[in-house]
Amino acid sequence: MMRLTKPTLFTNIPVTCEEKDLPGDLFNQLMRDDPSTVNGAEILMLGEMLTLPQNFGNIFLGETFSSYISVHNDSNQVVKDILVKADLQTSSQRLNLSASNAAVAELKPDCCIDDVIHHEVKEIGTHILVCAVSYTTQGGEKMYFRKFFKFQVLKPLDVKTKFYNAESDLSSVTDEVFLEAQIQNITTSPMFMEKVSLEPSIMYNVAELNSVNQAGECVTTFGSRAYLQPMDTRQYLYCLKPKKEFAEKAGIIKGVTVIGKLDIVWKTNLGERGRLQTSQLQRMAPGYGDVRLSLEAIPDTVNLEEPFHITCKITNCSSERTMDLVLEMCNTSSIHWCGISGRQLGKLHPSSSLCLALTLLSSVQGLQSVSGLRLTDTFLKRTYEYDDIAQVCVVSSAIKVES
Amino acid sequence: MESAKGAEQHAPEQSGPAEGPAQSMAPQGPQEDQRQLLYHEETIDLGGDEFGSEDSNNLVDKLDEPMMESVLISDSPNNSEDGAGDLGCLQDVVETVEGGTDHRRESVVDEEALDALSDDGESEGQDTPKDVSDMTPDSRASLKEDPEQEEVKDLPTFEHEGAEDLGPGDMRVPAAGPASGLSPRQPAPKDEPVPMCTIFSQPPPAGSQPRVLRDGFESQMVKSPSFSGVSEAAARTPPQVVQPSPSLSKFFGDTTSTNSLASDFFDSFTTSTFISVSNPNASPSIPESLSSLAATPVGEDSLGSADPSYSPGTERSESGVSTASLEIPQSPKPFSQIQAVFAGSEDPFATALSMSEMDRRNDAWIPGEATRNVLISVTTQQCSTVFVGKEDLTMPGLKFDNIQGDAVKDLMLRFLGEKAAAKRQVLNANSVEQSFVGLKQLISCKNWRAAVDLCGRLLTAHGQGYGKSGLPTSHTADSLQLWFVRLALLVKLGLFQNAEMEFEPFGNLDQPDLYYEYYPHVYPGRRGSMVPFSMRILHAELQQYLGNPQESLDRLHRVKAVCSKILTNLEQGLAEDGGMNSMAPENRQASVQLWRSRLGRVTCSMANCLLLMKDYVLAVDAYRSVIQYYPHQEPQLLSCIGRIFLQIGDIKTAEKYFQDVEKVTQKLDGLQGKIMVLMNRAFLHLGQNNFAEAHRCFTEILRIDPANAVANNNAAVCLLYLGRLKDSLRQLEAMTQQDPRHCLHESALFNLTTMYELESSRSLQKKQALLEAVASKEGDCFNTQCLKLA
Repeated sequence: MMRLTKPTLFTNIPVTCEEKDLPGDLFNQLMRDDPSTVNGAEILMLGEMLTLPQNFGNIFLGETFSSYISVHNDSNQVVKDILVKADLQTSSQRLNLSASNAAVAELKPDCCIDDVIHHEVKEIGTHILVCAVSYTTQGGEKMYFRKFFKFQVLKPLDVKTKFYNAESDLSSVTDEVFLEAQIQNITTSPMFMEKVSLEPSIMYNVAELNSVNQAGECVTTFGSRAYLQPMDTRQYLYCLKPKKEFAEKAGIIKGVTVIGKLDIVWKTNLGERGRLQTSQLQRMAPGYGDVRLSLEAIPDTVNLEEPFHITCKITNCSSERTMDLVLEMCNTSSIHWCGISGRQLGKLHPSSSLCLALTLLSSVQGLQSVSGLRLTDTFLKRTYEYDDIAQVCVVSSAIKVES
Repeated sequence: MESAKGAEQHAPEQSGPAEGPAQSMAPQGPQEDQRQLLYHEETIDLGGDEFGSEDSNNLVDKLDEPMMESVLISDSPNNSEDGAGDLGCLQDVVETVEGGTDHRRESVVDEEALDALSDDGESEGQDTPKDVSDMTPDSRASLKEDPEQEEVKDLPTFEHEGAEDLGPGDMRVPAAGPASGLSPRQPAPKDEPVPMCTIFSQPPPAGSQPRVLRDGFESQMVKSPSFSGVSEAAARTPPQVVQPSPSLSKFFGDTTSTNSLASDFFDSFTTSTFISVSNPNASPSIPESLSSLAATPVGEDSLGSADPSYSPGTERSESGVSTASLEIPQSPKPFSQIQAVFAGSEDPFATALSMSEMDRRNDAWIPGEATRNVLISVTTQQCSTVFVGKEDLTMPGLKFDNIQGDAVKDLMLRFLGEKAAAKRQVLNANSVEQSFVGLKQLISCKNWRAAVDLCGRLLTAHGQGYGKSGLPTSHTADSLQLWFVRLALLVKLGLFQNAEMEFEPFGNLDQPDLYYEYYPHVYPGRRGSMVPFSMRILHAELQQYLGNPQESLDRLHRVKAVCSKILTNLEQGLAEDGGMNSMAPENRQASVQLWRSRLGRVTCSMANCLLLMKDYVLAVDAYRSVIQYYPHQEPQLLSCIGRIFLQIGDIKTAEKYFQDVEKVTQKLDGLQGKIMVLMNRAFLHLGQNNFAEAHRCFTEILRIDPANAVANNNAAVCLLYLGRLKDSLRQLEAMTQQDPRHCLHESALFNLTTMYELESSRSLQKKQALLEAVASKEGDCFNTQCLKLA
């Protein structure tokens, strides 16, 4: 048995000299005579000679395990009814990999039965290739032997994901979700990422944000570096938009939703191919609770100690309950609310919303967080807290005048 | 923000070879497995249950910002499609902790976390070891220096003696030549009456001198490193045993005839008209004191004033030399300089004119600032002394005994018996003329070990033999060429460490004594560096083979900078080194051509180095820029870039480059272009996993060029992947038998032996047959590893 990973190209050690040097043309002649150098450009290190894999090497999840199985008759007798069986035992199952299960009628001395098996590796951990050979000797004796080849399947990639909820696109109820996937090559060889795509679940449409349109041509954001060195990580970004039919049911997308899965295809040495998919990526939709408060309008920069206005939108996300809400405004160290705290907002029907204009001012410069809104459902006596609703940049008005 | 609490994310941990019973069985060569596993029972404990899982909840993180979560790579798509069954089982058995191990805040841990912890430990363990490999060489270098330092310490006194003896100036030197009366000897201040001097400058007939000298070379090379063999340890081998070759015996023969012959000897190669500098060992009659170049006593100052009681003998015993060489002290040890000798040409102008254009452009180099200052003072102040610190001098010496030996023969002894081994005849250093001619002979018949040996002998004759490192010496163009050949061969043999050891005294190849200007009397009017350009390349490249590609790159960049500067100088109408010069246009053209090709050479080396560093993007850029220097190699270079992309796995880009090759080769139809195109197509098919088509392409090449070893070998490799082991073997065997001169190549033999092993457990016999084939064809440089006999 021999594992057939792709062959490698032989590299030579170029040593040259110039005509005027002591060996004259000798070194260069030696290089020309060496078949492993490139004809006409001997100083190139990477030759054209293929060499067979020198050891079993590593095998990674998603790659194809190929192996040459050769049964050779070392004896001087003809044997009959040879049956070769190759099974792969994993932690969960046992697969038959032999191309044919038919017995070969006879095998002469110094002849062999060859088989090349392929198997796409689908499990991590210990695998054992079991080669079983049974045959009948000339004397009619039934013989049987087995050989075991054990190998470990390793994980090639480390994938981490992160969801970002888009700042609500002020007009629509539905949100876009951005998915950042960090893919790290944890093998020991460079890896060319042939395809990294997100297959969305039925609720979403996806837009890949990993290439830019430059002069009519689609150019990846990764530049000329099309491959990942060992331990390198690359980030991929996707934008997911709920499909219309799901988006309309505001508030439906909540709790755990299935976003989709990443499909990754890579290649290594001489096109050795591997493919993996992640499990379904799940996302916890932002927990709006029963009452959702979102911002409709806010200035980005405000002057110190000058009032500014924001507009909030309050949505009743509960399924059937009409709510009676009271708005409270609590000052923080930097943000001061203007207006009456504790005012009634009136009845809010399910899936309806109301807009609310509020005024506040900041007493501290810099990037300030707008916090301190409280909504109390008078019926359930439940209070919803809204902190860090947004940030504003507070600048001194004096500076503004100067500038 | 988003709370992903409760959303359980599992990720399989890299299970690595470190789990459970598998530990001892990490993927191995099939052979071992075979034996090991033969007795296993069918039920195999896979140790899968050592995995654990953990809820990757982490409150702190989640509050701060959306967290990076590890995702379960379920497995291959097909499998996950199978539904919950597989997946569930996977999760149960294989899933482990999420991989973000570093910030493992165990604030929230559930029951399973214990497993998780242990798993984490494992995974971290796997991560750590990777950086360890590239450490050593530096420390080694520093260690190595110590002994030398010690040796060097002793020197100043001697040198100083020399200097004192000489008196302030050496102008009187030529007045009274030694009895030999040969012109090269003239400058030797024989006449100096100082006692210390006489010890060294005993004319050879006196005392044991001649014996030492006649002993020839044989014995020198045999000493073990523990002998600090300053001498030739001549006494050990009776001189009669080895019949020194004519040239050598003359060289070492009586002094009267020696000098002229010695110079002939070394002159055999260089084209310029100079008389070779004799060297301390080779020409015993030369006193240690200064020659005409007295300009440069090495001692930095007169601090270590002459201590008459300090004799060379004591120094030697200190360095642990056996006393076997009592006579050695008498041997001429001119610890001071150079026996700069000049052929009596009093008129430097004449010689300056005679210096050929070719020499100038070949040897041109731009010294560093410090070196240039030294060289300027040497040339301008010929009459007075210029002090050069020892650290600025190059004092090489052989660092190890002969590496002579023949691995092929050793293997034959082991596997085929003495009788067969006796048949193995290769040339060794003794069997050829002890000269450049013999050296070339050894190299061309691939007896590189013997050639290294011979270089060592010739260098010993030049006074730079074993143990001479750190001792002052002089250099000639020839001695540097010898060093180059020796070091180049060491690199070719893969003996990088040895090469590094011997390269070390040369520093950065910019010391003043490596320039012709340093020896104004030996090389009157000649300018530039004696260091061959190829030696600079070799010096730079060596580091990458020792695991310091970054250092290689630095050195190559320095070489490149000088090349570019020289080209700029030439373009601006200056001489190569920036001096004023009126060159004939054709000479200028030739020089530009030479330096452009050197620039190409160094760029190509950089590309090779980058490739070795796996910095493929920069490597490709570098190869592309080589095209402008070597336009005729464009198709090869483009093909090479294509192969690089194939290696990375970027098949599409590879294809693009291969298409460019096809465009380029269309213009220059011919066999070579056709072969290149077919070869590339074959590689592309390989990249697409289409071995059948690849095989067809390689076979097509063989049809138009039956002797093409690469295509032959590659076609055979394809056959194996197609499940045709026997055919593959037949093809390779036929190839190695038909054209053994070219086809007994390491890679082909390696493939052959690999397939023998696959074919049968009784592969030894066939390998031995290969060994026999190799024995009759290959020299002592053959890399026996590819036979996999050991």
